[in-house]
Amino acid sequence: MRRVRSIYLAAGLSVTALLSWPCAAALSAPLGDSSEPIKIALNEWTGQNITARVAGQLLEKLGYRVQYVTAGSFPQWIGMQDGSLDMTPELWTNNLGDIYPKLLAEKKVEPVGDLGLNARDGWAYTDATLAICPGLPDWKALLEPSCAAALATAETLPNGRLVDYPADWGTASANEIEDFKLPLTAVPAGSEGALVAELQSAIAAEKPLLLRFWAPHWLLAQAKLNWVEMPPCDPNDGARCVLPSPVIKVVRAGFGDKWPAAYSFMKQYQLSAEDQQVMMMEIDQNHREIGSVVSRWVADNAAKWNPWIEDAKK
Amino acid sequence: MKSHIANLFSPAAIRALAVPGAILLCVVAGAKWNWIAQFPDDWTLPVAAGINVILNSIIPNILPLTSTVSHALGTMLGSLVATLQFLPWPAVVLAVMLIGFKAGGLRLLALCLCALSYIVLAGFWRQSMATLSLVILAVPISVLGGFLLGLGAFLLPWVRRPIELLFDFMQTFPAFAYLIPLLLLFGFGPIAGLVATAIYAIPPMARCMLSGLTQVPRELVEVGDMTGCTPLQRLLWVELPSAKPMMMIGINQTTMAALSMVITASIIGGFDDIGWAVLSGLRQADLGKSLLSGLVIVLISIITDRITAGIFAGRRAQNGWHMRWGTAPVLLAAAAILGMGALSRWAAPDLVQGLNETRGVIDLSVVNSAVLGFVGRYGHILDALKSGILYYLVLPLRLGLSGAVLPTTWGFAMTPPVTAFYAAVALLLAIRQWAKGNPGGAAGTLSLAILLFIGLVGFPWPAAILLVMWCALRVSGPKFAFFAGASLGFALLSGLWIPFVKSLYLVGVSVALCALVGGLLGMLAAHNSWLSAGLRPINDALQTMPQFVFLIPALMFFKVGEFAGLIAISLYAIVPAIRYTEAGLRAVPATILETARQLGCTPAQSNLLVQVPLARPALLLGLNQTVMAAITMLPIAATVGTAELGQQIYISLGKADAGLGITAGIVFCLTAINLDRMLRAAAERCATPDQDK
Repeated sequence: MRRVRSIYLAAGLSVTALLSWPCAAALSAPLGDSSEPIKIALNEWTGQNITARVAGQLLEKLGYRVQYVTAGSFPQWIGMQDGSLDMTPELWTNNLGDIYPKLLAEKKVEPVGDLGLNARDGWAYTDATLAICPGLPDWKALLEPSCAAALATAETLPNGRLVDYPADWGTASANEIEDFKLPLTAVPAGSEGALVAELQSAIAAEKPLLLRFWAPHWLLAQAKLNWVEMPPCDPNDGARCVLPSPVIKVVRAGFGDKWPAAYSFMKQYQLSAEDQQVMMMEIDQNHREIGSVVSRWVADNAAKWNPWIEDAKK
Repeated sequence: MKSHIANLFSPAAIRALAVPGAILLCVVAGAKWNWIAQFPDDWTLPVAAGINVILNSIIPNILPLTSTVSHALGTMLGSLVATLQFLPWPAVVLAVMLIGFKAGGLRLLALCLCALSYIVLAGFWRQSMATLSLVILAVPISVLGGFLLGLGAFLLPWVRRPIELLFDFMQTFPAFAYLIPLLLLFGFGPIAGLVATAIYAIPPMARCMLSGLTQVPRELVEVGDMTGCTPLQRLLWVELPSAKPMMMIGINQTTMAALSMVITASIIGGFDDIGWAVLSGLRQADLGKSLLSGLVIVLISIITDRITAGIFAGRRAQNGWHMRWGTAPVLLAAAAILGMGALSRWAAPDLVQGLNETRGVIDLSVVNSAVLGFVGRYGHILDALKSGILYYLVLPLRLGLSGAVLPTTWGFAMTPPVTAFYAAVALLLAIRQWAKGNPGGAAGTLSLAILLFIGLVGFPWPAAILLVMWCALRVSGPKFAFFAGASLGFALLSGLWIPFVKSLYLVGVSVALCALVGGLLGMLAAHNSWLSAGLRPINDALQTMPQFVFLIPALMFFKVGEFAGLIAISLYAIVPAIRYTEAGLRAVPATILETARQLGCTPAQSNLLVQVPLARPALLLGLNQTVMAAITMLPIAATVGTAELGQQIYISLGKADAGLGITAGIVFCLTAINLDRMLRAAAERCATPDQDK
């Protein structure tokens, strides 16, 4: 079955190649060094792997060779510096560390625009929280002492507990709590796994829980989470305002000179949260292999990506 | 009688009591002058920045060398991975089974078959081969390095002490802390992880090498001298051959160390190996996935251990018809099988390719639902357990009784009368010890009472230094006291005092938990061989399982925060507590127990009054190992949201701030080394109890 599909694809491709025959001579020039594979970072989470593989498969359609390289989200910057990696297609800018800004200032990496994931980010709560803080989703419900008391644990007494992003991600929750005089204490989670485990066990035990979270996230395909309507704050002041994180694509310096068409494609490449979440569901819930899930999406969504490829070929 | 009274007021006794006096003075003074209670920020030195400056000047200079090394190793690793992944798994399984049979007979053959089938069925063949390649490449480097270092330390006795200190550093320095400089030197990818693994695995080899060489019987050396050996001949023909058994143990231990380190090193990425699968499982809080991949490394460790141990034990240790086969023919046969495998791959490429890429059929996601189901049903019990330990053990240690005793939890507050009562009890206990002629014990009791009242975090730093130096002086001597004082000074000056104290108390609480639970289990196991046999595989698995795996159940059960960290640390550190307690109690001679029984001891009496005191040295060594295990687990536990040195190291990894990581790593090592020395010295004093009386 897969082989049949790839024959179709190959046929489709050769048709497009034939159609664009007149400009075939010009085609090879913008492609650049297509013999050397483009090395794409695969970070630790499924969503990113989907973004990376969709980009990879489309780059292959453009005529490039690609190679996927697993990379920790911090160590990957060393790879982007020394040439073991050429691009990281899904960078959450709320979790940057110090090394990315440094590389950006030294012009060793180049952001190539927003991924269009329209991420959501903020404080969220489980259904069981509604019973003790009935005013939710309005943030003012959190001012009620009874609500804070029900969210409190031994470590945060007398304040309520807000499970926050890990300390090294940089988060404005603590400042916002202070600014709005909320009876809460932000407890940093330590890692994404810690946030996920916390949420899963709260849902399983039907316990109240207030935590900072983001979407799209694979967990949201199986767990119900409600978003707090956040207090109004100044969106220009990232340190005192919880904001959704822009998700951007980043390539290595010199990417554009080496692979002009790939560069143009990467500038246009977009992946929406809905598309990513559907694929995530297939992979994490239904245990399907990521390569075939992505191939199917690519086959079904030619309308979305065709313009980028056509444009990149020019 | 008169001399007894005179002893009570001897200068030594007065001096001992000066310690709690000075601590009390510090506490009182700290209330008035803040610089005593809290080390002023502007007194700290920019240690981290200094290290960064040094690194920045060194790294560019040795970069050409390291990148050449990295390139060479990268090529070797690449071809090794390609070869191992090219060979069809049935051929590899057969070859390993053959070698296993040679090393340990039918039992080991069956074990190899089960372990390797699991790896195939779990769908981790490719990743296992990648991990194995890393280990195969790292172990010879470590063995060679360990051999040379051990030999050097043997030939040059004056470097022995500094080299042993270096080994301590290599084994306790958290890998997270030096990953950043390694990445800068060796580039992104598995080579940095390979180097980290090789460094970590050197000390076991070097230590075994050194102890093997120093334990060569004198008579043998003398025979060599009498037959007219030159020192070189003596080394080659007498000392090295007789150190061979220890060297073999060293190779075995080095391999085990390398296997445990490859997982931690895979946090870098760049390599599709078992470690990456474990870490992805952790990121998704997917216990099933982490266990599935973690078990692969457990099984690889077990069969590597048994095979190397079996082969090195050689003919003497075993008999059976499998031993009649020579090693060389067996290895040749294994090579032939592998060769045939390779040929089959050329003959039927598609079939074999498909074989090696078989997807896993074992699915442990049922573990996840079981854990979540448990949390859903018994969440309130877990919460009660957590609050109990927090209110009555953790918070008193952190904030002191003065801060943690609240009417809501303890039923009363530390009002002045209660405080006075507490002070009176402490004083009475101290006076009793003093009257018994133990002024040191009295001073210890008083210091401990003050410490418990103030809590570790609020304890004034001059008092902490004083107390630690005094303890070090008492167990070991002035040299060690100076070292301990200098270590604390480094923690203060580098500005990491608070994380250091928090680490200390996290280690303290988890060790207390392990000693309690592990000691009890070990005691029961010493009397019940069924329990003992049942605990053994659990202990093995807990010890070889990648430490990251413990984090998930700890998180699911006990939520983000220190407590989950505490549980994760204890899960790993409980193993030595169980093992040493059991071994120590079992080593008590049966004749002594029989005597105790005849004297009319009840089993409980004989247990507590005879066995435990006799096993004290073993118990203290077990405590030492528990402390070490707890400390190695700290940086890993940082991912569940603790606020200590491990978290500093983790943050430094995120910021790529090599200086901060290394500074925290040094504080970390110093903590481990000091605690180790202190407990070892205490164990030695116990073993020879009459020495100081």
